[in-house]
Amino acid sequence: MFMKKQIGKAWLPFSIITVSIAVIFAGITYFNFMSRRIYEDSAVQLKEIYAQVNRSFGAFVNMNWKMLESKEDFFEVTDITDNRILRDFMDNERKYWGFSEFYFISKDKTCITPAGEEGNMTFENSWDDLMEKRPVISSEIMSGQSVTVFAVPVESGEYNGFEYDAVAVSYTNEDMAASLDVDAFSGEAKCFVISDDGNILMSTQTGGNVFENYLTYLKAASDLNENDIAGIINDWRNGNSNLLRCEMGDTDYCILYQPVGYRDYILLSIVPQSVMSAGFLSVQKITMNVFAVMFIFVGTFVFSVIFIRHRKQSHKNKTELRYRERMFDVLSNSVDDIFIMLNSEDYNVDYISPNIERLLGIPVKTAIENIGVIEKCAVDSDVVISKEELEEIPLNENIYREGEYRHRNTGDCRWYKMTIYHMSILDVDKYIVVMSDRTMENQMNHKTEEALRAARSANEAKSNFLSNMSHDIRTPMNAIVGFSILLEKDADDPEKVRKYTHKITASSKHLLNLINDVLDMSKIESGKTSLNVDRFSLHELLEELKIIVSPQIKTKNQIFNVYTSDATADYIIGDKLRLNQILINLLSNATKYTPDGGEIEFIVREIPQSAPQYVKLQFVVKDNGIGMSEEFQQIIFSPFSREINSVTNTIQGTGLGMAITKNLVDLMGGIIVLQSRPGEGSTFIVELTFALAEREADKNDISPETTVDEGIMKGRNFLVAEDNELNAEILTELLAIEGAKCELAVNGEVAVEMFENSQPDYYDMIFMDLQMPVMNGYEAAGKIRKCGHPKAKTIPIAAMTANTFAEDVHNALAAGMDGHLAKPVNMDDVRKLVGKLLSDNNE
Amino acid sequence: MKQSIKKNLFVITVISAIFLLVSCGIFDNSDDNTLTIIGKKNDLEKSYIISIFDRYREATGNKLNIISFEDSEYETETLKRFQNGKGSDIFMHFHNSDLYSFDVENNFLYLNDEEWVDDLTDSARNYCTDKNGNLLGLPFWESSVSGCYYNKTLLAEMGLKPAATQAEFDVLCQAIAATGYTPICRPTVYSWMIQFAMDPIFADNPELLEKLNNNEISYSDIPEMIEMVKWVENAADKGWFGYNYTEKGWDDISDDMSSGKAVMTFIWDTWFYTDFEKGNKYSTDDFALMPVFLNTAHRGTYEGGNMNMMMVNKNSKKLDLALDFLAFCASEENYNAAFDGIPTVSCFKGQTTNIQSKQVTDAAASIAENERVSTAASRIAGYSADDVTAAFDSLFRKKTDAAGCLKLMDDYRIEKASKQEKQ
Repeated sequence: MFMKKQIGKAWLPFSIITVSIAVIFAGITYFNFMSRRIYEDSAVQLKEIYAQVNRSFGAFVNMNWKMLESKEDFFEVTDITDNRILRDFMDNERKYWGFSEFYFISKDKTCITPAGEEGNMTFENSWDDLMEKRPVISSEIMSGQSVTVFAVPVESGEYNGFEYDAVAVSYTNEDMAASLDVDAFSGEAKCFVISDDGNILMSTQTGGNVFENYLTYLKAASDLNENDIAGIINDWRNGNSNLLRCEMGDTDYCILYQPVGYRDYILLSIVPQSVMSAGFLSVQKITMNVFAVMFIFVGTFVFSVIFIRHRKQSHKNKTELRYRERMFDVLSNSVDDIFIMLNSEDYNVDYISPNIERLLGIPVKTAIENIGVIEKCAVDSDVVISKEELEEIPLNENIYREGEYRHRNTGDCRWYKMTIYHMSILDVDKYIVVMSDRTMENQMNHKTEEALRAARSANEAKSNFLSNMSHDIRTPMNAIVGFSILLEKDADDPEKVRKYTHKITASSKHLLNLINDVLDMSKIESGKTSLNVDRFSLHELLEELKIIVSPQIKTKNQIFNVYTSDATADYIIGDKLRLNQILINLLSNATKYTPDGGEIEFIVREIPQSAPQYVKLQFVVKDNGIGMSEEFQQIIFSPFSREINSVTNTIQGTGLGMAITKNLVDLMGGIIVLQSRPGEGSTFIVELTFALAEREADKNDISPETTVDEGIMKGRNFLVAEDNELNAEILTELLAIEGAKCELAVNGEVAVEMFENSQPDYYDMIFMDLQMPVMNGYEAAGKIRKCGHPKAKTIPIAAMTANTFAEDVHNALAAGMDGHLAKPVNMDDVRKLVGKLLSDNNE
Repeated sequence: MKQSIKKNLFVITVISAIFLLVSCGIFDNSDDNTLTIIGKKNDLEKSYIISIFDRYREATGNKLNIISFEDSEYETETLKRFQNGKGSDIFMHFHNSDLYSFDVENNFLYLNDEEWVDDLTDSARNYCTDKNGNLLGLPFWESSVSGCYYNKTLLAEMGLKPAATQAEFDVLCQAIAATGYTPICRPTVYSWMIQFAMDPIFADNPELLEKLNNNEISYSDIPEMIEMVKWVENAADKGWFGYNYTEKGWDDISDDMSSGKAVMTFIWDTWFYTDFEKGNKYSTDDFALMPVFLNTAHRGTYEGGNMNMMMVNKNSKKLDLALDFLAFCASEENYNAAFDGIPTVSCFKGQTTNIQSKQVTDAAASIAENERVSTAASRIAGYSADDVTAAFDSLFRKKTDAAGCLKLMDDYRIEKASKQEKQ
């Protein structure tokens, strides 16, 4: 394709040059051919003309001789002694023939005119002929004037005492020239009668003759060489005719010579070649002009066609170029890339995209006038590329830099990648600079890097988590497995059995707490935690807290001061469970990390705020325990973070409590602040805002004063829906220990059937696992409530499940169940719930 | 002491009185046998002038008081003297137009009736005659014939003959040019040669001269002048003067002619004895004379000699003595003695001791037929060879055309004539 374009482009000039050369060559060939033909035709014409002149001259000479010979008869019959008669006769003859004078010539070359004027003649070279009775021609000077004399011998006679032997007439040079002259050649032709040695006898030269010897003159003035001259001499001596060309001065002449036919006389004519061929040249000139006009016409036509096509093409190209430029402008305006073209010689700007004003706040005109203004926008001078660096870019290579540039007007900084290409455009070295806005990409990269770092950190955290979990799970599991082995071994020793059982139970509880915390943390971090907002009594919550933490405080003989008098709000709306969890975590930590006999303060107070329907509460848990280092304070709210020292090493903990606490505070829109110093204790301050609620009795509230009837379980018959045989067995055994019995249903459907088929009051209560095959616990509870059994609406149903999250509790209640028990089963909880539900059912 | 002082004062007074008397005698020309002659310093140093003055002193015992001036101051200083009535007895002057600044009619004696007049050659007599035919002075000078001197050897080598007519001259120039030689050596700075061409116009047509001097016509009104300038311009364009003639000077004429670069030049015969330096190729003997052809005369023209003449102060108190002096100079014995061996054309018919140039001798018949007295320089009021040169320089350098050249000549001439008239 490229080759085709190249050939297409080269075709036109090649054709023009070829045609022009052909035309010029044809013109030159034609011109040479025509010149040759013209010369030949002109030469023929010249020869014909001067052959005629020669004949005329010969006739003129012969006529003069015959005229003179005829005078002899006249002299015989006329009395020429009568001067008057002779003069009259000669006057008439002179008028008729045109000669200037008549002479009688004696043997001593003296002469006399009829008027009696005497003179001398020379008859150089011709006297002998005359004396031998042959007519002659001679050039003489008579009365100071050059004349040509025609003489014939006559019978000797006497005229007025002058003895003569010949008679002659003379013609002036002008008269002789007339006999030789021709009308052709515009009077430019000169004709000479010369002797064979070149001496000029007569000529048609205007005003006379300055040529004495034409051969000599030809030697001096013409470009004829010695051979040419020798040839001429030879021709003249041999009476040959010839036509030759020569140059004299700056003029080309044609010289024609031919013998006159008298003695060695030669008729020589010389004509400028341009004059000789004037007629033909005129035709040639016209022809050439016609050709020239035609050539010009055709050339003009062709040129016009080419020009119009070129102009159209040029217009099309220009239009396309304009479109492209416009499109490029629009394109560049719509993108965040700045395009600059620089001349490599002087670094002048050839082009700059107009979006530079938008992107950098630099007007195009300013940038064109001084490209260096862009450098001033660079935030960091390192991104500026010097001229030396530009010059070092190899042709067709590029370099790039990245950096921040500040918008001149707005001051906004954006990240640009500047790529500089060194290339040759139309054989001119150029630098193309492309400044691409990579701000988004740069930010993305940063985010990606951050995400990567976060991922790495998360991965590291996960690894740490697994490591921690491995340690924290294996530790109690080691105790459980180990003491189980010891239990089997020492089964016969009741004391050891109790001891081992107690330790297994403690390790199991710790393991259970650990699992609960991990799951709780996981749920919070996954964003799946939602607050179970409801109305509750703040004071009840605080009282419950006291009850919960009191055993631990008592165990360590710690002083526990509670100040709640500044918290006047009673019923508030919030997630009591989560608030309880926050405060228990804080108080539990305070207890754990405060040495025996230490002091713990729990302060609850309201913080003034503008909205009357809300209350902002500040919970302060302050201890004088071991405190914590500043470094640990920075990570205390991170999962699995525990300060490592001699004290903490002896304290059990998952390292998740404070992380869960912080997340719950955040979830509730509050803040948590820590103030601590190693060895001086710690203070946690939590601020939370709650909506105020009216006081209202709630039957579902579990009174903290509720006491558990230790025998509540005895004699009861429970329907247990449990698909796991092991769990079913454990529960059966535990209930049996409590004096109760149970019937097992392997899934919800069976449980529903068993209840429907039971007698009223046959079952006291139903324990419903939630995740079961065939029919889950939710559906089964719903069907039970809807079935036609007389106790369908009232029989207590408690969820007994490993799904322990708040929403699980909520969903269970929503499904028609009356309570929730988490696995593994804690019989104390079972007793409490059974007592409560059966009590409620009875009421 | 007093006596001594009186005696000395007396002696000083007497000496002063004698000195005063002697001085007055000299400047008042009170000596009857002393003639005062004023001439140019260079002219007075000519051998034949010195010779004739010496012969006069010896033969008559009379004295000659010679007063000379440099060429540059001659016209102005002598004019002052004559205007102040202190003109000399004899006044030597080239008969050019400057003479008419002097009041010729009232200052100089017409010499038509002197006995020696018939002994003058026609050419010499005509030269010294004013427009009214009055003989103004005795021509006593080396004379020459100005014409076209050509290299006859070279011409013969070319197979050419000298021209006898203007038409032949044109053909001759063309033929010579065709051989590659320069036909006419004619430096621009010597455009005074143009005056040769003007002689036929004004010498053959005295009425034109009169009208011109009366400002009734100008050069531009004279067809012959127009044709002459056009011919010169055409000749220059054809290369007949060569191709660097505007840059050539006086010495180049000799160089070009003796080397054969040029074939012809317009000059005078004595030039071959005074300025021509024989070259490697050609000597004086290679040159011959034909008429000058400048398109103003069909058969060409020669210009007669430009001579210094001795004029007699009409107001001189020694008129007879002055006329006797001229008669002494014009006697055959004396002028032959003075011009013995001097190369010059004869001013006197009886002049035999001078040397006649071969060129002039050979062309005697043609000279006799075509010679004209130098008319332009001596008869045209305000004529200046330098002005003509300036006008033609403008023409040759294409600063003006033929008409412009003539106008310049007219302007210069009229300006100078006006100045002369005021003087």
